[in-house]
Amino acid sequence: MTKQMKTILIVVGIVVLIGVMAFGKIIAGYNQIIAMDEDVKGKWAQVENQLKRRYDLIPNLVETVKGYARHEKELFENIAQARTLYFQAKDVKDKINASNQLEGVLSRLLLLQERYPVLKANESFLKLQDSLEGTENRISVERKRYNESVQTLNTYIRTFFGRFYAMIAGVSSAAYYDVPEAEQAVPAVKF
Amino acid sequence: MVFKNRRLSLITGVFILFLVVSAVQPADIPETPSRYVVDLAGVVDDATETKLNGYLQELEQKTTAQLVILTINQLEGESIEDLSIRIAHDKWKLGQKGKDNGVLLLIALKDRKYRIEVGYGLEGVLPDSLVGSLGRDLLVPYFRKGDYSNGIFAAAIALVDTIAKDAGVKIEGMPSIKYHTQPSGKGQPIDPISTIVGIIFLIIIGILFIKNPRAFLLFLLFSSMGGRRGSWGSGGGFGGGGFGSFGGGGGGGFGGGGASGGW
Repeated sequence: MTKQMKTILIVVGIVVLIGVMAFGKIIAGYNQIIAMDEDVKGKWAQVENQLKRRYDLIPNLVETVKGYARHEKELFENIAQARTLYFQAKDVKDKINASNQLEGVLSRLLLLQERYPVLKANESFLKLQDSLEGTENRISVERKRYNESVQTLNTYIRTFFGRFYAMIAGVSSAAYYDVPEAEQAVPAVKF
Repeated sequence: MVFKNRRLSLITGVFILFLVVSAVQPADIPETPSRYVVDLAGVVDDATETKLNGYLQELEQKTTAQLVILTINQLEGESIEDLSIRIAHDKWKLGQKGKDNGVLLLIALKDRKYRIEVGYGLEGVLPDSLVGSLGRDLLVPYFRKGDYSNGIFAAAIALVDTIAKDAGVKIEGMPSIKYHTQPSGKGQPIDPISTIVGIIFLIIIGILFIKNPRAFLLFLLFSSMGGRRGSWGSGGGFGGGGFGSFGGGGGGGFGGGGASGGW
């Protein structure tokens, strides 16, 4: 074995080693971004579960309130509309928009008890209100967890290697579930 | 002789360290609750606290569900919903992993707010509507009168009762919620488990004392660690160690179920 051949062998060995290491790193990065993407999807599924629960509760609540507040036709129509909008929504962004829209009218529904004090004494209204408040709280919990997961994914995608891995894995950044400031504030009751 | 002295000084050292550590307990929310009733606001009287610690421990032993009561003076800019899920889910991880059967009853005294946080696994047994009316009907009336002990007691035993009934077990000596008006007072029946535990402890202490006086010293040290507030129902001297003390959260998860309210 000549000296030259030895050198070539060493160089080839190093190149192969680097290649294997780089390949390993790419696989790891690929797996990581897939895991992040799945986590976002899983968390979103949890949000959707709770949103669905909210939409299932609303008709019951509306029925109970209707008996006492017959004149709030417009409000009931708005609620029904916002509800339909949600079920028509196709992707995550549309669903977020639709549920934000509903949130405003929904708090107005709960505020009806200020106008119709008799509701406060109605056990089934109180129970439905508990369920709805519980669901709203669950939504906000799942929303927070979803947003945290989205943040992890989106931050990673913005890094140098992250962008590369995202490209080969076909993963794109996810949408945050933001609640607009205006919706967060309790809407004023109009008389 | 030198060797013996060294060991003795080691024991003394550990003892002193323990005293120092226990003296410097911060007033804010502990990393893990040491008991089932964590009364940071100091509104629950000792008798009620002792009873609740007993019932809640028995509940965990029989159903694995962890119900912890926390009273604080004031929320610091956080909503009670945010604080309660942070403590129950992220910090204490109440309930068993996989079962998610934890409950946190949180009271913020100055804010006049309470929240009953229910773990994923108990949402079926304790739906929001039930928890909501339970708070309104049992806790709020007492709280309005400033009777925090009885309000907490009534709400807690109603929760315990619901969980225990669902699991098909009975908590010894716990009053039924319907008859409950005055939790304090009349002779609490000695519950058999704590009696047996007590007898076993006494036997162990006896053996230790005869065989090895030094180990006995160590035992005393450890028992003072666990049962400093002597919540042992039948009132034995030592061996409170363990009874009513909380073994730590089991890793349960919460998803924001439960109900909040004010008084």
